[in-house]
Amino acid sequence: MSSADGSVARGFARRLLGVGLAAGLAAATIALALTDRLSLYIHPSSHVFAVTMAVVLLVGAAASFALPLGAEGDHEHGHDHDHGHDAQPGRRGAPRAVRSAGAVVVAAGGVAATAVTAAIVLVPPATLSVELALSRDTGSAPLFQGADAVSLAATGDTASFGVGDWASVFATATDPEAFAGDEVTLVGFVTPAAAPGGGGDFALTRLVITHCVIDAQAARVPVAAASADRRSLDTGQWVEVEGVIRDADGRLQIEARSVKPIDEPTDPYEY
Amino acid sequence: MSESATRRERRAAGVGTTSRHRMPDPAAPGRTPLLVGAGLVAMAALVAVAVLSPLPALPARAQDALTLALSVLVESMPFVVLGVGLSIVVQVWVPPGAIERWMPRSGWGRRAVLSLLGMLVPVCECGNVPFARGLMIRGFTVSESLTFLIAAPIVNPIVIITTHQAFGFDDGILVARLLGGFAVANLIGWLYSRHPDPDALVTDRFRASCETAEVETAGRGRRSLAQAVVELRAVIPALIVGSVLAGVIQVVVPRETLLAIGSDPALSIVAMIALAMVVSICSNVDSFFALSFASTFTPGSIVAFLLVGPLVDVKMLALLRTTFRTGVLAGLVVIVVLFAVAVGGAVNLLA
Repeated sequence: MSSADGSVARGFARRLLGVGLAAGLAAATIALALTDRLSLYIHPSSHVFAVTMAVVLLVGAAASFALPLGAEGDHEHGHDHDHGHDAQPGRRGAPRAVRSAGAVVVAAGGVAATAVTAAIVLVPPATLSVELALSRDTGSAPLFQGADAVSLAATGDTASFGVGDWASVFATATDPEAFAGDEVTLVGFVTPAAAPGGGGDFALTRLVITHCVIDAQAARVPVAAASADRRSLDTGQWVEVEGVIRDADGRLQIEARSVKPIDEPTDPYEY
Repeated sequence: MSESATRRERRAAGVGTTSRHRMPDPAAPGRTPLLVGAGLVAMAALVAVAVLSPLPALPARAQDALTLALSVLVESMPFVVLGVGLSIVVQVWVPPGAIERWMPRSGWGRRAVLSLLGMLVPVCECGNVPFARGLMIRGFTVSESLTFLIAAPIVNPIVIITTHQAFGFDDGILVARLLGGFAVANLIGWLYSRHPDPDALVTDRFRASCETAEVETAGRGRRSLAQAVVELRAVIPALIVGSVLAGVIQVVVPRETLLAIGSDPALSIVAMIALAMVVSICSNVDSFFALSFASTFTPGSIVAFLLVGPLVDVKMLALLRTTFRTGVLAGLVVIVVLFAVAVGGAVNLLA
């Protein structure tokens, strides 16, 4: 335990699990920013903060190379037994088996964290899958931006509206007539229409994010389309829909003039 | 060379605490720039690998879990860096006695002041753990640091602003969240201050790092680096494991399962507490997330969500485990959950 090799190995493990993994995450953050894909994970308003702190961390990690291994003080067992806490055996009363089980759990956690960080650095960034988006669709519109959207919509300024904005408007508008006739061009992916009679032939869906991807919520608007347009649409296909908002029996939906299949956009989420 | 000279000056000036040991310094001063240069090259290489990301994508579900975990990590890392920075400031740079002089004498007063410290140190919950460790290393008691840890994620300016943006003063959600957070923090601080053996509340590993901290007498720059190495080692693996757990649970457990429980006054509180513990959203923004449930869930269950989420979600528990014993965490979860049920129930009755 107290041989020189063992303490070097422990010092190295501590550097890897702390500074090393943190540097891996910071490097991933900077790489995402360099390739302009940070928006796949967090809201644009926190990009500057995230990148600044990642740079600070990388500089600190580089500086830590000058700190000899183990110079931060060896806190593991088997060192400096003259410290007070080791002189009180009663407190460390956990049975040996429990303590070694604990050590196994800690080691497994370290290995798992290292593997995850390696995957983060080595695997290209991705967007959430359509299946996940579907499983997150709880039927209720994401209302967090509802207040703004509805008051904006009432003033007729809907040019910048995305799927999320319209979904809130559709869900909360008290007089659908006010919006009927608005021209829209929206990008999203295709998901099956809501329950039969729920309106539309398919739903145009987009994941809406408040802060970072873990709070992603599915927003959807019903779309009525000509049967020729519908035939080529699989669930998950990204499309650009151009059309007009219509009031179908008191329920708003988009009447598509054209539905054009497109590749997944570089900004798949709405913020 | 100049660096080691200033280090000697500081030591001569008696800056720093008790000097019992002297750190050996195997790295000759002339090698420092070389080593830092090597470090910079290594970091640049790491960024280059991350840009190239040579491996293929994972299967859909694993990739989704990784994407969710990475989004939490990218979001929380800057706060961890900030928290580690503050912890270094508190432990290495603030002169002894500078904070203590301003603290009230009585336990109640000290804990009340500490639970408002979050107003001045607006780090969200991931950054609070290294900061609280810095407080304890500095000599604050376990129960005082716990009070800060529990209060700060809720009683802090960013959270107040975002909660107000999301809910206004509707149904007393904002008021219940703030007062509830303050009260539960002081309740927990009081309960643990009555523990006969506070040292038994923290892990051996953390207690050992408190003791080493006292005896280090190296220069402040070097002590700052050493402190960063120790704090990152303690916090980062836990943060990663917690984020991955949060990501995996979200991919595996369908959201309808939690939501199906719906608008029942009692069950909705339980459901939202479970949801809060699973989703591990940062307290700065969890109110926006909760708002999208406000139409189907009772206000009391929303308050319960907003109280439990910042304090004892899976990510936070993994972080706390770096410092506190499992028994303490179990106690925390029980107290916070029961408290949230009580506050949520009261809100449901009154609203």
